[in-house]
Amino acid sequence: MLTGFNITDYSKKTEDLTSTEMTEESIKKVLQRHRLSGSCHVVTFQLEFQILEIQNKENLSSVITDLSIVMEPTEYSELSEFVSRAEERRDLFMFFRGLHFFVEWCEYRKRTFKYFKDKYPDMVHLPKGACSLCMGIRSTSRPGFELVIVWRIQIDEEGKVSPVLDLLTKIPQRALELDKNRVIETAPLSFRTLLGVLGIEAAVECLIRLLHAGNE
Amino acid sequence: MEQANSVRPDGEPKAGILAHLEGLEAQMSRPCKRSKELQQARAEESALGTKIHELRRLRDKLRAEVNQQRARGKASSANVESGQTVEIGEQEVLERKQESVKAILQAYRFTGLSGKQTSRGVCVCISTAFEGNLLDSYFVDLVIQRPLWIHHHSIPVFIPLEKIAAKYLQTDVQRFLFSLCESLNAYAGRKYQADRLQSDFAAFLIRPLQRNSLCNLLSFTYKVDLMGQSSFCARLLYKDLTATLPTDATVTYQGKRKDGHAEKYCHMLHSSA
Repeated sequence: MLTGFNITDYSKKTEDLTSTEMTEESIKKVLQRHRLSGSCHVVTFQLEFQILEIQNKENLSSVITDLSIVMEPTEYSELSEFVSRAEERRDLFMFFRGLHFFVEWCEYRKRTFKYFKDKYPDMVHLPKGACSLCMGIRSTSRPGFELVIVWRIQIDEEGKVSPVLDLLTKIPQRALELDKNRVIETAPLSFRTLLGVLGIEAAVECLIRLLHAGNE
Repeated sequence: MEQANSVRPDGEPKAGILAHLEGLEAQMSRPCKRSKELQQARAEESALGTKIHELRRLRDKLRAEVNQQRARGKASSANVESGQTVEIGEQEVLERKQESVKAILQAYRFTGLSGKQTSRGVCVCISTAFEGNLLDSYFVDLVIQRPLWIHHHSIPVFIPLEKIAAKYLQTDVQRFLFSLCESLNAYAGRKYQADRLQSDFAAFLIRPLQRNSLCNLLSFTYKVDLMGQSSFCARLLYKDLTATLPTDATVTYQGKRKDGHAEKYCHMLHSSA
């Protein structure tokens, strides 16, 4: 579908709330109850919302008066906070927009991790499999060294989705002692800079090459 | 006795005996007759009885047959009906399915972006809303050709449609649509807020609200207290066209006396924007 959403079921109930006084002033008040379920890639959603429509002589106003969203799977913890916010704000469109981009980023993250896992099977380690938040890079020749890339997908107040990548280092004590230039300490910040310069894939490739080079 | 009565002298006694004999004979025959009659009657009776039995049997048989016929008739007509109900049932199911598919297609509106197939491509409907209030919808009619082009649209002229199209239309249609959606929703939200400020706080506005078509630059003079004399002049700038909150806010106090409140308000606005 256009937006990546697939609606599988929809039903609507209408309740006329126009009172006799309202009819006299040609005001019409209708409450619609909608139920919608569908999916976006691997994520499924079920929505129930109410729209209050008030039509008077001048204009028609439609307001979402209630919104309730149930998502599955619930492993995407970043999503649950976003969903609560959307429910609070009764912002239906922000929910769908945010969901679309979130899922897109998740798919991209999955593809990227898989690509690196396939390319460097001995070095790359995905703790939770395909849906991992983290990707570990180990050196085969130097055990004890590990670089972990944490890739979170954030949804801000306005529903804008952006990736946030961080680098965690796991270095043996001995190596830390030898690190006079404090490279390890500044690694996370340097990684952020690298991301800005090379982009996600090239930056990660760079890191892997670092440890890979250690093998030679 | 010999034929005593062959020679019949005129003797009454012979007539008497004959008569007597006749009488006796008659007497004899009368019961015979009676019994004969009786027998006949009995025979007739039994014949009639049998006939009655037969007729009754025939009547029952016919009755049964009629009933059977009736039952069969009902069943067959019922069969005809149920056959029709089965057909109607299927038709109803198909109709219901069609209705539900139509409803689902309508429901895509609620995702904010929905499309309808046209003869040359697709007509996309972009819905806008702000804080639960459903606002205007806009459409973009796309012609699916290489290159993709916009046949016509209802996007306001101050929305950077060409810029967004130049960036994404040919390479990533979804991105184009979402980007447009973002801009339109932000504009709709800003406009809604400006409208509400104008209508709901009219009593507090000293001069009418001034705004541009994009509603990203608002200027107004207001007072905090209906009875009060102090007024403030506010200028809100929304640099980010995809946001509904201002990026810059300037509040100046309009009055002779320096009011400590003015600075406080400026602070609040600047920190929240």
